[in-house]
Amino acid sequence: MIILLRDVTEWVWLVPLLPLLAALVTGGRVLLGRGSGDAAEPLTERLAELAALASLLLLLLIDLSVWWHGWPGHRVFVTWFAAAHWQGNISFLLDALSLPVATLTALIGWLVVRFSAAYLHREAGFHRFFIVLSLFLAGIQGVLLAGNGLLLFLGWEMCGVASFLLIGYAWQRPRATGNALFAFVTNRAGDAGLLFSLGLAGFWVGSFEWPALFDAQLPLVDLRVLVLGFVVAALAKSAQLPFTPWIARALEGPTPSSAIFYGAVLVHAGVFLLLRLEPLLRHLPDVMAGLLLIGALTAAYTWLCGLVQTDVKSALIFATVFQVGLMFVAIGLGWTTLATIHLCLHAAWRTWQFLLAPSWLVLTRDRPAPPPRWLAANQWLYTAALQRFWLDKLGLALLAAPTEAIARDVRALEESFIDRAIGEPGRGHAVQPDRPLVQADGLAGRLLAGVSDLLQRIENRLLLRGRGGVAERLLREAGRWLQTLEELLEQPRYLMMAVMATFVVIL
Amino acid sequence: MLKLLVFMPVFGALLLAVFPVRRMQLLWRLALFCALASVLLSALLVARFVPAGEAVQMFESRAWNARLGSHFALGIDGISLAMVVLTAILTLVAVLVSRQMDKGARLYFVLLMLLQSAMFGVFTARDWSLFYVFWEATLLPLFFMIDRLGGENRQRAALNFFLYTLGGSVFMLVALLFLYDAAPGHSFAMPDMAEGGRGLPLNMQLLIFAGLFIGFAVKMPVVPLHGWLPLAHVEAPSPVSILLSGVLLKMGAYGLIRAAETLPGAFLAVQDWLAVLALLSLLYGALLAWRQQDLKAMVAYSSISHMGVVLLGIAALNPAGLNGAVLQMVAHGLAAALLFLVVGLLYQRTHSRDLADYGGLLGRAPRFAFFIAFGLLAAIGLPASAGFIAELHVLIGALQRWGLWVICLGVAMLVGAAYGLRVIGHLYRPAPAGCEIRDMTRTETTAAGLLAAGILLLGIWPAPLLTLVGGSTARIAALFAGG
Repeated sequence: MIILLRDVTEWVWLVPLLPLLAALVTGGRVLLGRGSGDAAEPLTERLAELAALASLLLLLLIDLSVWWHGWPGHRVFVTWFAAAHWQGNISFLLDALSLPVATLTALIGWLVVRFSAAYLHREAGFHRFFIVLSLFLAGIQGVLLAGNGLLLFLGWEMCGVASFLLIGYAWQRPRATGNALFAFVTNRAGDAGLLFSLGLAGFWVGSFEWPALFDAQLPLVDLRVLVLGFVVAALAKSAQLPFTPWIARALEGPTPSSAIFYGAVLVHAGVFLLLRLEPLLRHLPDVMAGLLLIGALTAAYTWLCGLVQTDVKSALIFATVFQVGLMFVAIGLGWTTLATIHLCLHAAWRTWQFLLAPSWLVLTRDRPAPPPRWLAANQWLYTAALQRFWLDKLGLALLAAPTEAIARDVRALEESFIDRAIGEPGRGHAVQPDRPLVQADGLAGRLLAGVSDLLQRIENRLLLRGRGGVAERLLREAGRWLQTLEELLEQPRYLMMAVMATFVVIL
Repeated sequence: MLKLLVFMPVFGALLLAVFPVRRMQLLWRLALFCALASVLLSALLVARFVPAGEAVQMFESRAWNARLGSHFALGIDGISLAMVVLTAILTLVAVLVSRQMDKGARLYFVLLMLLQSAMFGVFTARDWSLFYVFWEATLLPLFFMIDRLGGENRQRAALNFFLYTLGGSVFMLVALLFLYDAAPGHSFAMPDMAEGGRGLPLNMQLLIFAGLFIGFAVKMPVVPLHGWLPLAHVEAPSPVSILLSGVLLKMGAYGLIRAAETLPGAFLAVQDWLAVLALLSLLYGALLAWRQQDLKAMVAYSSISHMGVVLLGIAALNPAGLNGAVLQMVAHGLAAALLFLVVGLLYQRTHSRDLADYGGLLGRAPRFAFFIAFGLLAAIGLPASAGFIAELHVLIGALQRWGLWVICLGVAMLVGAAYGLRVIGHLYRPAPAGCEIRDMTRTETTAAGLLAAGILLLGIWPAPLLTLVGGSTARIAALFAGG
């Protein structure tokens, strides 16, 4: 048994793969038209649940094996791709950070899948929900277990897409799609940071593997730039300032998805990333100080906003981000173990709370507590908290509006100059009146028409095709000369002369 | 074996000439039988050919005129074998599509068989005098076919074609005689002449090469000498167009490769000029093709452009370029044949070659529309078509030699895509009211399908053809490796 457990680590790649397979199978069923009606629901749900449970059991077995065989550490399985000295691996880093968090996440995932089956019964997007949920479970396990930055990025993006799809779950409502877009775009800012850091890691370190990255002897300045990209990614994913507004909008999705994404798991992904990078962060006290500051500010901000919320989900989400802010503070102070424990406990607790949110009105008969008196007394602070410090509007005014204006200008430029220069289909002019189908538009088209005009003229003039072409005239001219010569030669006197000339030459 | 290949069509022609039937269908069956026999024979040749073996295989030689030093020598290497197979297949296609001939069927089939014999002769001859004889022998059947069976301007087109090519081959003959004079032992055999040619001073070589080049360039055609082609292609009956563009043009390129073997010094000296001519042909052909609304003229001009690719590949004189040139010869043979086939059949039905009359063809005659689109895409060189592999090889070969000048090739491809897609787009337009087009019959679809399958096969799995050709091209490239 104990010997068998040693090999179980070799199967860790199944943990993210199984939910992905479940998503693929369900997706295939929907594509084949098998995904409608009550009868189709149990299979979809059971597939997702089975995959989640199998992942959980596998992780538990691995945890068990740690008991006897120690931490597996960094394991490389396959080379995903390799070009020159670049190499992307499928590798996993199983240590005291990733295994507990991953196990807890698998447990939460399995429970949420079970909960959703009943919650979403006879919803229009039942199958869609389970496909996306499985996709998310695969992605988040990829983030947690990844042994290198690339695999983490892959999982990170899968989570981002899944989050986008579930916020826009009720796509018939414009509000839901708008919020989905908002959340997605904000997250892309973080993704850009992640990608930037990975690019630098490949460039400076030559590898994306975590151990290689931790052991790299980079100058402090370079290291700071490298880590800052990761930090931006973490801030965006964990909804710290200034990225906080997206998470309040992200609650449009069905409750189970809100629970697992924003209550329990996804919101902690940023914290996890920083915990993972702890060996790098240790060298950079100034970055840690920055994290401390941001965490503290976020905590204060969400605390104030949370005090004035009137609906249960918003109150919960601000409370969540408050706790996450505290985790950032802990990381900033260097208390990573505390942050890890805080993460796990908070995730478990928040899942339960979020899943309970729809029943909150039934459970609590009392009116919610009013905001404290000192806040109510301070008119200005109260308004600011109610308006969430206008971060939302600030973002729109400072970023979205100028971007839109630039886009309008560029579009105008395109319409009035670039399109004309390149040419557009359907707007061409006929090159020759008798060939209406041969059309040209734009600079390239005009050039083409001009050159081909020239060539056609050469073709018509020079070659034997047209009557009176140059070549034909020359030939006729030469023919006349030859004919004259021949006529002359036929006359006896010239014939004799030619014969005599021949004789002279021979002699 | 090769003798059988060359002379079997002649027997076929005799049989067709005296066969006492009046019904067209029986004649057609007989011609089909002959063409199939040729295909089988060429397949047998492929099976017996060893790509890694000697340079020239199945060589047989017999003194023809001992006093003059000419031989009746036949033999094949990888390049000629590829051309032989192409000839056999395209002749079969030409027979297949001429099931419904209006008149002159007997004459047509007889001439077709004679033409096939002469083409086989050109590709298998290993003696320059024999080569020249077969070269000229292709002219006569073609002249009569265009003159008797062509379109409204057929007389002018036939005469034009005849004079141009004859004019070219006169230069070739003179050059060959010069070379004969220089060859040791006064022999016309290709190896002997090559030996003599390599020993000549450069000026002499250049002069001889110029003569040979004019002969081949007219046939290929290279741009200033292409005057016969648009008219002949447009006026010829469509099976003849298939052979003209599919095989006859390749004779020029094939001869040029043989000339490169014979006069390497001269070839090396004019290499850059050949590339200039090739790029000129490419752009000239593409631009003029772009201007045409007459589909057949468009395909004819695009042939000039595509043969420019062949010339560019040959001029690069490295294995990649030469391989690309031979591949392009095959690829263009198949693609141009397919296009001429479809356009010819459409002309038979509508008596119009104007693109404007083919609007909405997709709804009226889907098989026609499919094969036009397929042929055009193959001619553009879309990946998974044989043209892609060929153009890629030529591009690589030319890039090694001339660097960024090959951008011209890219421009020509772009223009090619422009006119190709214009036609394809037009097939989707709403149809003009009131005219029905009969779709392709089963025989015609078989012929077109054969070509399309060949294009796809070579595009997806070019390795067999590359192995077949590779040995011979490597041998030629090795002649220039020092230079």
